Amino acid sequence: MAGPVISARELSLVFQTADAPVYALSKVNLEVEDGDFVSFIGPSGCGKTTLLRVIADLEQATSGSITVNGMTPQEARLKRAYGYVFQAPALYPWRTVERNVGLPLEIMGLDHAVERIARNLELVNLKGFEKKFPWQLSGGMQQRVSIARALAFDPKLLLMDEPFGALDEIVRDKLNQQLLELWDRTKKTVVFVTHSIPEAVFLSTKIVVMSPRPGRIIDVIETNLPGNRTLDIRETPEFLALAHRVREGLKAGHSYED
Amino acid sequence: MSAAPAIAAKPVARESGNALPVTAVCLCILLVWYAAAIPMNWVVTGPKIEAAGGGLSGILAFSWNEARPVLPAPHQIAQELWKSVFTVAPWMPKSLLYHSWVTLSSTLLGFVLGSLLGVALAIAIVHSTFLAKSLMPWIIASQTIPILAIAPMVIVVLGSLGFTGLVPKSLISMYLCFFPVTIGMVKGLMSPETTQLDLMRTYNASTSQVLWKLRFPASVPFLFTSLKVAVAIALTGAIVGELPTGAIAGIGARLLQGSYYGQTVQIWAALFMGSFLAAALVWLVGVAERVTLRRMGVKP
Repeated sequence: MAGPVISARELSLVFQTADAPVYALSKVNLEVEDGDFVSFIGPSGCGKTTLLRVIADLEQATSGSITVNGMTPQEARLKRAYGYVFQAPALYPWRTVERNVGLPLEIMGLDHAVERIARNLELVNLKGFEKKFPWQLSGGMQQRVSIARALAFDPKLLLMDEPFGALDEIVRDKLNQQLLELWDRTKKTVVFVTHSIPEAVFLSTKIVVMSPRPGRIIDVIETNLPGNRTLDIRETPEFLALAHRVREGLKAGHSYED
Repeated sequence: MSAAPAIAAKPVARESGNALPVTAVCLCILLVWYAAAIPMNWVVTGPKIEAAGGGLSGILAFSWNEARPVLPAPHQIAQELWKSVFTVAPWMPKSLLYHSWVTLSSTLLGFVLGSLLGVALAIAIVHSTFLAKSLMPWIIASQTIPILAIAPMVIVVLGSLGFTGLVPKSLISMYLCFFPVTIGMVKGLMSPETTQLDLMRTYNASTSQVLWKLRFPASVPFLFTSLKVAVAIALTGAIVGELPTGAIAGIGARLLQGSYYGQTVQIWAALFMGSFLAAALVWLVGVAERVTLRRMGVKP
């Protein structure tokens, strides 16, 4: 694979509001390589979601440059280069689980819908729930449907915006484990926004620590945890050292102050 | 001990909860009505009662059985309804069913046309801020003009163009009933959440795909709420459309003839028939709503 999947140079984004401009992103430099699992971590308002939305062409940067698969984010979006998982499942309540997963296939006019839906529902352990409507599922199951939907058209890049933020810790642990296995199996590039330190350390190959006002990158940490890890790894000294370094980065960026 | 029966009784009371209040209100209305018929009809019945020697039984007999009362008693209206619905063949001009069908047919045509126009306008408004700004004031202004002022002009203008009978009346119904559909559907088509719309953007979905796969399904509950209002005022529109032209058939024509000849019982019977029709139409839309929403998997 030639070149990085995502490459940002001096990327800035300023929102013009009524009283004062808001510096959501300030001179962000970032490289995401093929097969990486990259987490953006930081407090609310640090621009982590904004950065993800710029990659997805849901927001446009005001200065600097960014490429996705070597193209502009808009070109990448028009080529349907990524699957996006939102904070809320954003399922369409009038569609059954299988028809929600099939939605991108309908829109893109892709073949083999039945096989694709079945394969991706199996990937998120939701076989047997095809005919259910979203309200019949728990919050965690709904979010798994939305992950299956993002994977349905087989994008190489998966963008996830705090997908487990609204779930309780027990469900979140389980889904983290499943997501890691899924990433291991599919070899996708994942960009993952979170505000949970253990989640970021457990999942990532690379942690991007961000800080607010203006939104900027404080530290980029390469983790080298073993590939077939389980939740138990969170008690090991290596894991705790990484978590400590993330926390120090957040402190240095004044993330713990008001 | 004292709490247990109360808890057990509650669900029963809730299930049969509708019948009792509805009956009570109906009884109250009937009582007031019968009582009001005595003083209101006194102009007509007073001399007859005095001639017959008065007395409570005389007052009641005359006040509640006057052939041309100011306010007919409920049982007189019921008798007239029975007579004009069940004792006459439905294709005869004396049958209230015949008149109902005349009004109903233009109501339904107007309702269909008005709903289609309402949905079309809403789709246009949602997709173009220019149209939203330019159309909205006209749409609102259209509803501030009294329909009684517009109806005769519509009938006369269309009549001179050769359109008589069903079409002009339907157009008046359409004119009244597109409005709630437009307002409801604009809100419905705008109801998808930001993330649901962003999702479509990440798929690079076309405007028509967003409309048919997201905006329209999301607006269905809004559509049915609007249709319930629309179908009732479509009926009003059809009746009003029959008034200014001296139409010879339809509920409006019955009202008009009744007032020409002082047949108050006939007027009231026609009014009740109109109410039954409106209730039936709203109920039918409600049934269609329940069936549709159940098929769309809405949480029961």
